[in-house]
Amino acid sequence: MKPHILIVDDEAPIREILAQMLGQRGYRVTEASSAVEAQNVVQRDPPGLVISDLQLEDSDGLAMIAQLKSACPGLPVMLLTGVLFDDDVVRGSLSKTVDVYLAKTTPLAKIMDEIGRLCPL
Amino acid sequence: MNDKIIRRLAALFVVMAAVLATVAIVAIQNINRAVAASDWVNHTHAVITELSDLRSAFQASDAALRTLAMTGNEQDEAACRDALSRLSEHLEVAKALTRSEAGPAAQVARLEGLAAARTTLTRDVLAAHKAGQAGSVRSLLAADTGAGVVAEVRRLVEKLRLEQMALLAERDGVAYRQAQTTRWTVWTGVALNFVLLGFTIWLMVDDVAARRRAAAALQLANEQLDAKVRERTAELAAANESLTAENLERRWGAQALEHQLRYNEIIINSISDLVLVVTKARNISRLNPAVQHVTGWEPAQLVNRPLSELVRLQDGAARLAPGGTDPLGQALKEGRDLRDLPATISDGTHRQIAAHLTLYPLRDGNNVVGGVVILRVDAPAT
Repeated sequence: MKPHILIVDDEAPIREILAQMLGQRGYRVTEASSAVEAQNVVQRDPPGLVISDLQLEDSDGLAMIAQLKSACPGLPVMLLTGVLFDDDVVRGSLSKTVDVYLAKTTPLAKIMDEIGRLCPL
Repeated sequence: MNDKIIRRLAALFVVMAAVLATVAIVAIQNINRAVAASDWVNHTHAVITELSDLRSAFQASDAALRTLAMTGNEQDEAACRDALSRLSEHLEVAKALTRSEAGPAAQVARLEGLAAARTTLTRDVLAAHKAGQAGSVRSLLAADTGAGVVAEVRRLVEKLRLEQMALLAERDGVAYRQAQTTRWTVWTGVALNFVLLGFTIWLMVDDVAARRRAAAALQLANEQLDAKVRERTAELAAANESLTAENLERRWGAQALEHQLRYNEIIINSISDLVLVVTKARNISRLNPAVQHVTGWEPAQLVNRPLSELVRLQDGAARLAPGGTDPLGQALKEGRDLRDLPATISDGTHRQIAAHLTLYPLRDGNNVVGGVVILRVDAPAT
């Protein structure tokens, strides 16, 4: 069975590119444009990995991630955002909430490598 | 089979049929000749036998005649007549057998003449005997003996028999040669046909082998072609996958860049202070919406214009620069900040707005490429 990945981002082009790439790699992908939608997906069809933006239309990404993790403990999460954090912030704060933090300027190939590490095929 | 092989096989079968037909014709002709020769041999044997019988009949008639002359009884007379009758029959048969041959026919005719004389003699002897003229009988017989008729008949018959034997030997030789010719013809034809058949089989086997080789070569070529197609398809699929990945990577890069630019712009545009980007020559290159909101100047009216047309440092601040030079230019040249310098902003109605100016040099590596000017409007005095 194909691993399931949930993409949470309010920007449709970002979701579309990620979904296409992941689909080609053999993943089953569900897209969500808001935190509410993402929570519904996790309850209905728990994913093997959540890729989330930080700034969502209806919520803060980190708050949403906390809710998803409380509902689904151990759920791997990748924070993929245009908000650039210092390394200290990543080590000190983000690493407690998310498994991986990547800026959106990161090359797609590297993003896929991290996804493959967190959610192997 | 290709046309060339078919033509060759057809030609070979035609040659074989011709050989068979020739052999058959020659064999039939020889058989007919052999049959004819056999008829002639039988005929010659019949002639020889008949000549022997004719000679025996002569001798029997001569013996019967002399016995009758000695005994004179009726039984011997009947025997004499019977001997003459058999002689006559044999003569008729001999004539019939030699009718088609001139030489033997002439000799048989001569024998017939001798037989006729014998018949006449016998009748004369019988007549003299019946008349009781014994002396006449003896004289007739003596005259016959002196003539040597029987010896003449024996000689003629022997000669004719020898001739027939020679003819028989000659015809036997001819029949033997014909039989030999037939044997050679048949065996040669059979051998030739076997050679042709062998050649035909060789041609067919060679053609089958060539076909197998061609089929194997075709199969190998097809397999190689399939392998190349599979290889090429795999290469194309890999290339397509790589191109798709590259395309996605480019789209992702463009999207990330656009996102980042927009995000930075949002941040700048959200600041209520006036933010301007200036070149090293202190010309305005960018500005945030707060500038237009506060001053009323359109961006197009300010971009590429000297910063001094929008904002001026107050006298005390202007004097900060050594030698009376522009403190903003000096700060950019030296790559240092200016913070909270009192200044006045000229708006679109030439109204002077009190503010504080802060300048941050824009660095690209070690080089200062321009500066960011932040103007915080002073709160109106209450």
